Amino acid sequence: MSDNTLIRVRGLKKHYNDGAVRALDGIDADINKGEVVVIIGPSGSGKSTFLRSLNLLELPTSGSIIFDGEDIAAKHVNINKHRQKMGMVFQHFNLFPNMTILKNMTIAPVKLLKLPKAEAEKTALELLKRVGLEDRADAYPSQLSGGQKQRIAIVRALCMNPDVLLFDEPTSALDPEMVGEVLDVMKGLAKTGMTMVVVTHEMGFAREVGSRVIFMADGVIVEEGTPSEMFDNPKSDRLKGFLAKVL
Amino acid sequence: MAEWFEKVKNDFILNFVVDNRWKNLTTGLKNTIIITIFAAIIGVLIGLIVAAIRTTYDKNKETMKKNGGIGYWLMTFFNGVCKVYLSIFRGTPIVVQLMIMYFIIFMSAKNGVIVAIISFGINSGAYVAEIFRGGIMSIDNGQFEAGRSLGFNYLQTMLYIVLPQVIKNILPTLLNEFIALLKETSVSGYVGITDLTRGGYIIRGITFSPYMPLFAIAIIYYILVMFLTYIVGIVERRLRKSER
Repeated sequence: MSDNTLIRVRGLKKHYNDGAVRALDGIDADINKGEVVVIIGPSGSGKSTFLRSLNLLELPTSGSIIFDGEDIAAKHVNINKHRQKMGMVFQHFNLFPNMTILKNMTIAPVKLLKLPKAEAEKTALELLKRVGLEDRADAYPSQLSGGQKQRIAIVRALCMNPDVLLFDEPTSALDPEMVGEVLDVMKGLAKTGMTMVVVTHEMGFAREVGSRVIFMADGVIVEEGTPSEMFDNPKSDRLKGFLAKVL
Repeated sequence: MAEWFEKVKNDFILNFVVDNRWKNLTTGLKNTIIITIFAAIIGVLIGLIVAAIRTTYDKNKETMKKNGGIGYWLMTFFNGVCKVYLSIFRGTPIVVQLMIMYFIIFMSAKNGVIVAIISFGINSGAYVAEIFRGGIMSIDNGQFEAGRSLGFNYLQTMLYIVLPQVIKNILPTLLNEFIALLKETSVSGYVGITDLTRGGYIIRGITFSPYMPLFAIAIIYYILVMFLTYIVGIVERRLRKSER
């Protein structure tokens, strides 16, 4: 395993109903440090399942996921420790509605990393500033727009200072005019060298920001390469067909 | 009219003043309140534990099955025990449970109030458990996933993120259960405890007044329920503040 590989996935399978449904059917992939890996594919292709397997929100049926030198898909792994290093951003934001924005962002660092409250709040406010929402620190999630909520969800994950951020269709639940503000935050994040794995339908984002694109269909990786290879010169018929529909 | 007032006054004096008969009501009220409060505490404790076991099992059985070992079988066992408990205590009338407790299980017990507290507590626990479980299940799974993805373990996610939301949501239903519990204690007389209802009934047995003692206990129950509603209303408003 080279020093540059952050997550190494081998033979990852996720079967339902004793193998009758194969959401993931043998995935091999490496996520390297500083990369923005964009996963595209038709719905039902298993891309979300794959992403959610990376931090074990989906339990794989078999295969290995090496992260931080440990196979986190194995039995009796303390997954909570590893999840602190893998931030996740959800399609539906999943902010905690009963907490202020600041509390949303500081609860994990304070309770898990045992940071002093003042220090956690200082970091949180700096991050809020970066996404232009420092004046909403004391607001509740219900008072924010979808785009604002998702920006908060991103910085909430950043508060744990993770090694990698996983994005599960971060703009799919947003009104069209709010997609841009979230993508801008993600672009900014990519520039800072954050490792990101992004499941998205935003082909423009994949092409512009992605360092590598993975195309999945039927639970397997059909094709992968740089954005220009994938979008300008697709090899497989599946990818050609997919791109013809979405572009 | 004046005649009617005179009659009510005499009735009142006969039922409550003569021979200090009002003491039957205060003794009864004291027992009713003691039984209700302690039964509610027991009920909430049992309810929380049962709801915790059942939701933990439902939400984690996949992981536990994968890791295997004794933990999975223990949880399956306890989950089964909880289901049997719920089915028995919701499936039979509280009066019958109280009588079985008093006349059979705690046959040698001298203190009926304690037996009543245990009976009502265990019975209420079954209802509270389902209120908590419903509350936990009604929280979007995304809240659990967000908590877990930040690195909280299952218990921490429950305590820091889910339960505060649950309590806010179930408060009205929980109040309903406490009101029902308070009124259910009126069957305590079946096992010889002087609760509020029986206190009024004792007066009725002495004075043969058809109305006054019954109306008196009805009014006292009503005041108790209104007081309870008022207190929970304050708590609820304070919790809801966070959403505006």
